[in-house]
Amino acid sequence: MGFLDAILGGRRKLTQPAPDRLFAMTTCQVTLETGLGMKHRDVAGIVFQPLPTADFQQIVKDTEALLRSAAEDTGTKVETADDEFGYSWIILRDEDFEDLVVAMNLVSSQLQAGGYGDRLLAAVFVFEENGRPIYFIYNFKRGAYYPFVPTGDKQRDNEREFRLKAQLSGELPIEPEVERWFPLWGTPL
Amino acid sequence: MLFTIFLLGLLYVAFVGVLIAAGAGAITILIVIGALSLAQLFLSDKIGLAAMGAKEVSPAEAPGLHAMIERLCIQADLPKPKVAVADTDVPNAFAMGRNQKAAVVCCTTGIMNVLEPAELEGVLAHELTHVKNRDVMIMTIASFFASIAATITQFGFFFGGGFGGDDDDGAPAFIVVLLVSFAVYILSFFLMLALSRYREFAADRGSALITGRPSALASALVKISGAMQRVPDQDLRQVGRMNAFFIVPTSVKQSVATLFASHPPIEARIARLEQYERELQGTALAA
Repeated sequence: MGFLDAILGGRRKLTQPAPDRLFAMTTCQVTLETGLGMKHRDVAGIVFQPLPTADFQQIVKDTEALLRSAAEDTGTKVETADDEFGYSWIILRDEDFEDLVVAMNLVSSQLQAGGYGDRLLAAVFVFEENGRPIYFIYNFKRGAYYPFVPTGDKQRDNEREFRLKAQLSGELPIEPEVERWFPLWGTPL
Repeated sequence: MLFTIFLLGLLYVAFVGVLIAAGAGAITILIVIGALSLAQLFLSDKIGLAAMGAKEVSPAEAPGLHAMIERLCIQADLPKPKVAVADTDVPNAFAMGRNQKAAVVCCTTGIMNVLEPAELEGVLAHELTHVKNRDVMIMTIASFFASIAATITQFGFFFGGGFGGDDDDGAPAFIVVLLVSFAVYILSFFLMLALSRYREFAADRGSALITGRPSALASALVKISGAMQRVPDQDLRQVGRMNAFFIVPTSVKQSVATLFASHPPIEARIARLEQYERELQGTALAA
């Protein structure tokens, strides 16, 4: 960003996605399940901001078609949903965790190839600990994960989240700034 | 708000004049101006919120607003600002705070009632762009430089000896110097206004980028400006202090010359937003 841009209120582009560290979750999953006694749920989601333009909608349709054809081999189930904030979700269901990560990567790389990588909001994985869900949210722009542990009505268990950060520091690229641990309430997962 | 900054700056200039007349050195004066500007910079968020009667709200109090801002922050790659709500029917929103970490985004209950979610999102993205572009910082620095410019003029007159004949008549010379430095300050103030208008356009563009829906912001601007004229005058005057960081200035009277405006005219902003929308849709044709 040049000096003139700084004076006149620069930046003509959104932050583009950071180098992809989505796959860090595959190794981390082993630690979570063997070391911390969690169990992954057979579902994961990717949330993005839909643009009301024809080519964007075409890219999303193509991506879905691609996912469904890939799913014939892996047995992944593909669903789509819109949430109350006007964002779109692609929800994937598969017992094989690795298939979930691969399918998520397919979605993100399709959108990026179409030039819409900056519309990707987050990828969400869900684990279960003593019957309650533990979310791991991957922020594409930051290339980092952070934990999200909701407890009932719009409350989150910050203590558990901080403990997870300490427990996983070597395994997962964790968002260093806590101000960016944005919750995602009411996920369709 | 802009008027307040203007008066404040004028006060600086007068104050510096008095200091020079009292025989204070250049370093002392620079330190005093610097300290005042810093105080302005660091207290602006608190003063701003207090002037609007706004108060910070927790995620539990305004879950929808928080969730909307959080998602926009992910999209804009910003840390989460504080969220405040002002309980007034005047539909408006503003951002305060010297940097991204100390930012506050405030909107009125009026704007939340008047706008559809997508439109409110456009407005909030506009305010978040102000935060991202550090507009409070830039405008404070600009007003600081305006004060400095006026100060230098004062120095020039006092120590440059440009007054020849008036040497033994101290009081009128002092007044002339004060008037000239006011003139310099006013000139730089108009430059500040021009800068502010530029940054409004930049914030509109940023909003279009973040939400991908320039038309939603355009429709929000139309709604707000229309609704503003229906709000009783009394309220308008009451909120007049906060103009600089409002999305639409509260006095939308046509008679006010654009030179004096901190915001570009609504029509110009909408025209640009339409252009962004065309560009956005245009990519579809090119692909």
